[in-house]
Amino acid sequence: MTSRRAPTRTMSVPLGALLALLAGCATTGNESGAGTPAVAQIVDPPARSGAPTVLIAMPSSPIFLEVRKSLVSEVQKTFSIHTFVVGPETTVADLASTIKAVAPACLVLMNNATTNLYRQYQAANPAAVMPPAVVLMTAFAEEVQARLRRATGIAYEVPGVTAFVNLRSVIRAPIGRVGVVYRPAFRKFVERETALAAKEHVELVSVSVPNDVTAAELRDALHDLAQKSHVDAVWMLNDNALVRGPEFVDDAWRLELSEAKLPLIVGVPNLVDPISPLATLAVVPDHEALGFQAANLLFELSENDWKVERFPLELPLSVRTVVDLKLVRANFGLRPDALKHIDKALE
Amino acid sequence: MAQNAKPVVHVFLQLDAKSSVIEKTLRQQLPELNVTVFGRLRDFEERLTAAHPDAVLSIGPILQQHGQTATLQGYRGGKSVEPYVLAAVNQPLTGPLAGKTIGVVELLGREGTQAFVSGLLKEPSLKIKRVAKIEDLLSLLEFSAADGIVLPSSMLGMLLERTRLVIKTRELPGALVGLPAVAVLNPAAREIVVRSFQQLDAPTKHLLGIDSWRAP
Repeated sequence: MTSRRAPTRTMSVPLGALLALLAGCATTGNESGAGTPAVAQIVDPPARSGAPTVLIAMPSSPIFLEVRKSLVSEVQKTFSIHTFVVGPETTVADLASTIKAVAPACLVLMNNATTNLYRQYQAANPAAVMPPAVVLMTAFAEEVQARLRRATGIAYEVPGVTAFVNLRSVIRAPIGRVGVVYRPAFRKFVERETALAAKEHVELVSVSVPNDVTAAELRDALHDLAQKSHVDAVWMLNDNALVRGPEFVDDAWRLELSEAKLPLIVGVPNLVDPISPLATLAVVPDHEALGFQAANLLFELSENDWKVERFPLELPLSVRTVVDLKLVRANFGLRPDALKHIDKALE
Repeated sequence: MAQNAKPVVHVFLQLDAKSSVIEKTLRQQLPELNVTVFGRLRDFEERLTAAHPDAVLSIGPILQQHGQTATLQGYRGGKSVEPYVLAAVNQPLTGPLAGKTIGVVELLGREGTQAFVSGLLKEPSLKIKRVAKIEDLLSLLEFSAADGIVLPSSMLGMLLERTRLVIKTRELPGALVGLPAVAVLNPAAREIVVRSFQQLDAPTKHLLGIDSWRAP
């Protein structure tokens, strides 16, 4: 592929912040939650005599704490809670000794680093009966779940269909075809999303790009989606390789989409910025609601004797939305009553 | 309520608008009151205990659960209650409901919500899926995570506007739930709270899902 024209630098979005956010989100990259400061010491509620214990293994950065807070507030009257903070220095032996000491009825594992530790723990104890585990805030949770014994959980990636329905509720322009560019690692994810989107009568038009896609190749893929496939909107996956840095975003996404005048849906709020317009809508996980959903999953598991095998991975039910109102008004039209349904409107 | 301080009013309602929008509107419309709108039951309950508001605005079952009595009852079309419906995809959820998974917005805590929905559907053996917000009910249907959802009939329009799913409903005989009502908890604040809510304009009352107030 060849680039059609010289790119113009207009990037002002703090990409460092974006990449830190992506690190906290579901991506193929670092999911340690690094980049966000650790906060105050975690205090578990007093143990409940005779109640089963839930062991929450998690990083201590704010987004994880938000989920924990909501989860704990829901379940603390039913379960004892023991929180085990996982950091870069945490070893499998640390996790193993905690599991031995706490003897949990169930584990809650937050992020990929934590689930990797637990996977190593399982591998080191092949004959042991494992407690059930609920996987949260983990990239590719379905694949992670498949590699664990006795695990279920809630996917972290916001389903495209949720984003598309939200976009429809904000803009007047019709949304019948949505384009998405993906790398091979996301193929299965995109296939699942295609089927889900069809339920809401949205055709997901997907284009595969190489793992080492260049800005020019990505721009060409976006150009084809806009000009040949005539999509009504574009969905940017939370994939670090597609948003490598300010120049990459400028050269690929901004250049093509500013010309095509298509709404861009993203999974991180930083890319919605009326001062440096790019994305129209960000749809992000509602962490408080995620904790609530996880609590409900724990209750259901408990009521079913912790038979986790009966529980397929759930999709996140609740999201928050950030909208560039200036962009919407200028290009796509704002639906009446849209403002009632937006969490954060920027202009 | 301290002398010269505005009476504190806590609001917990599941409506067709973000709680931030409702709060902004109520604060503009009720300048003599200090209004906080909660989007989540847990937050509402925690603050109810810790902050001792002078009045509460919520629906009947929530007020009753906390032992509160309505001082002002909201009405719509001359009625103080509204029907709840059972919605499902493609065809109404007919026949026995035992064992079905039913989605509902969290209103009364885990056991309270289970009892509430079981009462509406007259079926004790339900699997209840609680969600945090009214729009999350749609996700349950899109993901096939529930066989049906229970919601106020007034919220059905919002759902139908958002989705291209074919939604079919089943009416639930006797499933009538109280509309928003104000319970004054501090008698010293009664006059100003009642007067303020009675002076709400029509669009704000519409936002709350009512068209008038009456003393019960």
